[in-house]
Amino acid sequence: MADPQTLEQQERNFDAQRDLRELQRTEGFKENVGLPSVDGLLVWGAPIDDFHLRFRKIRRYTNIGFHLTLIILSVLTVAAFLYRLFQQESIQALWTAEFWFAGYPEVTLFWLGLFLDAFIIFRLFEYSQDTKRIPGWGKSSVWLHHYQETAKERANFRFDISPYVDDSGWEVVASAFRLAKNLKRNEIGVPHLFAAALSSQTGARFLMRVGLSFDRMKAPIADLINKGASGDGIPPLSGEAKRVLISAYENARLEHRRHVTAIEIFLEAFKQDERIQEVFNQVGYPPEHVIHVAEWIKLRAKLREDHDRFVRLAMLKPKSAMNRSMTARATPLLDRFSEDLTLSARSGYLAPIVGRDREMGELLRAIESGQRSVIMVGHRGVGKQALIEGLARKMVAEDVPPELFDRRLVSINIPQVIAAGDACLAAERFFAILQEVKLSGNIILALQNIEALSGTGSGPLDLAEGLASELGRGPFIVIGTTTPENYSKYVERRSLGSRLIRVDVPELNPDAAIRVLMARCGAIEYKNKVFFTFASIERASVLSDRYLHDRALPAKALDVIREAAVLARKKRGENAFVTAEDAATIIHDKANVPVEAVSQDESQKLLQMEDHLHQRIIGQDAAVVAVAQAMRRARADLREGKRPIANFLFLGPTGVGKTETAKALAAEYFGSETNMIRVDMSEYQDATSVYRMIGQAGDERGGLLTEAVRKNPFSIVLLDEIEKAHPDILNLFLQVMDDGRLTDGVGRTIDFTNVVLIATSNAGTQFIQDETRKGTELERIKTMLLEQQLKGSFRPEFLNRFDAIIVFKPLSKDDVEQITWLMLGRIEKQLEEKGMGFRVEDAAVALLAEAGYDPLFGARPLRRVIQDRVDNQLADILLKGEAARRDTIVLDRDGVMKVEKAPPIG
Amino acid sequence: MKTRVGSIAQLLFVDLIGSVAWFPVWWYTKGLQMLLQSVFRALQYRVRAYAFGIWIKNFFVPMYGQYDWTGRLISVFMRFVVLIGRGIAITVIAWVYLLGVIAWVLLPPLALLLFFQGGAAGILN
Repeated sequence: MADPQTLEQQERNFDAQRDLRELQRTEGFKENVGLPSVDGLLVWGAPIDDFHLRFRKIRRYTNIGFHLTLIILSVLTVAAFLYRLFQQESIQALWTAEFWFAGYPEVTLFWLGLFLDAFIIFRLFEYSQDTKRIPGWGKSSVWLHHYQETAKERANFRFDISPYVDDSGWEVVASAFRLAKNLKRNEIGVPHLFAAALSSQTGARFLMRVGLSFDRMKAPIADLINKGASGDGIPPLSGEAKRVLISAYENARLEHRRHVTAIEIFLEAFKQDERIQEVFNQVGYPPEHVIHVAEWIKLRAKLREDHDRFVRLAMLKPKSAMNRSMTARATPLLDRFSEDLTLSARSGYLAPIVGRDREMGELLRAIESGQRSVIMVGHRGVGKQALIEGLARKMVAEDVPPELFDRRLVSINIPQVIAAGDACLAAERFFAILQEVKLSGNIILALQNIEALSGTGSGPLDLAEGLASELGRGPFIVIGTTTPENYSKYVERRSLGSRLIRVDVPELNPDAAIRVLMARCGAIEYKNKVFFTFASIERASVLSDRYLHDRALPAKALDVIREAAVLARKKRGENAFVTAEDAATIIHDKANVPVEAVSQDESQKLLQMEDHLHQRIIGQDAAVVAVAQAMRRARADLREGKRPIANFLFLGPTGVGKTETAKALAAEYFGSETNMIRVDMSEYQDATSVYRMIGQAGDERGGLLTEAVRKNPFSIVLLDEIEKAHPDILNLFLQVMDDGRLTDGVGRTIDFTNVVLIATSNAGTQFIQDETRKGTELERIKTMLLEQQLKGSFRPEFLNRFDAIIVFKPLSKDDVEQITWLMLGRIEKQLEEKGMGFRVEDAAVALLAEAGYDPLFGARPLRRVIQDRVDNQLADILLKGEAARRDTIVLDRDGVMKVEKAPPIG
Repeated sequence: MKTRVGSIAQLLFVDLIGSVAWFPVWWYTKGLQMLLQSVFRALQYRVRAYAFGIWIKNFFVPMYGQYDWTGRLISVFMRFVVLIGRGIAITVIAWVYLLGVIAWVLLPPLALLLFFQGGAAGILN
């Protein structure tokens, strides 16, 4: 039962804290006298003017001078003593009372020197540091609790925070003062403090991480510091500026910092002045972004502190395989096939783990629970290894339950164990190793990718079964790792599964992954001699989450920043910044999806997409506009995240340009016509053909469509003649169009969010032709198609999922004539490469168009006509050598080809 | 708010001269406390490094996994010897620290006393 006294006390505490918060909100800030806190009423007590700023330095130099004088005096007394000693006949004199008490002046001075030394110790402890430590720094929780309890006694006293500000902080205050004075402001405002902090070393570090240059911020900040009333004389700290300094103190105290430094002032100034936040927001850095960077800088400081603590504790862990109680036994065979992770951690080879508190807690709890052995299940790259390494570090620091105390964590290299060639030999080895582990009694086994034990199970021999039976009897703990697929395949339903407690390790979300990257990027920076900006880390995390699907966060994002660091160094040399664009470039290369910011060239291309498409597509205005609009939406990042870029259904008779539109888009936007995954749906007419498309369970090759999209996620998927496919296959695409993903036969999820899905269909052709002939409007034809004609071919939910259903109208004679021009243009281009000209008379084009026009087949017969009447003649002329370079080939009004010889040169 | 004269006066009379008066007080209060705390911490660290707790807990557990009779016998004997050895070591260290603390306490008055004695003897001689 809870002690009533304690409860009452807690309640009182709670009330006191609430009152305090209330006070902080109202009185303190409003009247600008100070901020109530556990230390008392916080105020800024130091005067700020030229004299006092200089006086700080004078005081420091006076103290240094004083200490130096004392030290020199002390050394002199020792020297005099030694002089006297060497004057003696022998050093033995030291042992005689006469030497000490004879009254030699040097010996007397020596005693004075000793007294002086004590005084020096005192002075160095009390006066060598200008900055006082914040009360509570490094104190025990009992002390802090008592301090909190007695807060009321101090509430009425002023507490001057200025002695707790360290040199970097004072430098900021001093330069803010100089800034305000030089600009003749009537007071030192928050912008002055901020500008001073920004130009300090801390500010430079901050800007570097944000990825901003000081010059870019100069003008807007200069505007801010010039605002406000002007005045001569010595500008005092404004109320807001004092509030910033006081909040900086409060912040430092809450974060258990030793002193108030420049970074706290910087951050508080930023937080408290909305104008400063606006300035950053304007150049593309919202406040959260800036605050994240501050977290990063603090995280680094914290990691350093943790490291110091770890090193101290690691000294206590034995260096050898022997535990401290010396109950262990030599394990020669195990040592050959394993790595001692605790030893690696002790030597500092393993990085600390960031986050993952829940999983670590679950892991330790499972070990404590009694059944003891654990299996961690998570996708590749989620950080199972990091968890094991984190556990090794915890074991080194002995920050673990009793089951793991004074033990070592040893990771067996399974492939090496089973690489015996002979399965029996492998098993023998494995069991001998387990025997060693059992006898030694101080070993926790880590088996990474535990499914490898099952892999060797040819015939009756299976190491996993062996391990399971040993676990049933043996007093040792195993921590295994595996992926969810392998868990269900090799572990779950077997006896090993029943012996292991499952701990799931889910993928990190991008925000948590950012923290991991922040913690890990130091080593990469050091290796490549570059610096990461926050934006690069954020982009790497967010984009890899969105576009890379083979591995999980944070591993894939770590890979990205590793490569981005190399890229930045190669492009811009050492000490360069890794920018968000570097990270985006790496993602682009890995995923084949352009994720960089839209460049000038590209936006031009997007804006003029209709024009470009029109050069290839004749007479289908509605289709061209719909496609261009969808592409612009996609690149401006306005589309819904979880669907393909666009889903189109092109309806219309054959030969009117449906496939051609898809090809034109592929060429125009996706780089080339080959960036199109074309699936002839007529090949998928029965239900079993679905396996060909998405692959079959157990067949690692995957399906035709899924593999193509996996390798090339940024492309056009053209489903030709979709009405011919089996209805089950159409159902498959319902999910693709809605969720932008498809699970293939192997169980991989394929991302379809970067494809443009285009389905073409001839369904309702007759109806379209009839209606067009009658002169019905295209919109009306479309409505009628959807309401009546297509009902037989497609289900309504299928049609509903298309972003646009575009009806391609039959081509008119005019259209065909234009297409003829286009096709002849291609011949002209080919001849140009051979150095020849090509000219076609208008009448010849009309003749070809006439012959190639067919209301039923659109422009398709035209290709054949051009082949017969133009290409054939041309081939004859070229083969006979009738045309030479510089000649012009002319197709005359009767459709006959002639060669016009070029005039001789000169 | 402090004036210029006030600041300089504080530097001279409080920081420099005043510290002479503050010194003996500090030496036997705050200074001594600091010293004792660090001695205590160092001893604690030593005790952890010698792993007394673990050794006492495992007193009858045989060393090197030798579970036979002779193994157990030798092991208990060895543990006894090692514990005694480590006990002696920690005692010696504690004594050294204690001497340090005594030296701290005695140093200023003793040094001063001997200084005056030396001075007096010098004059008499």
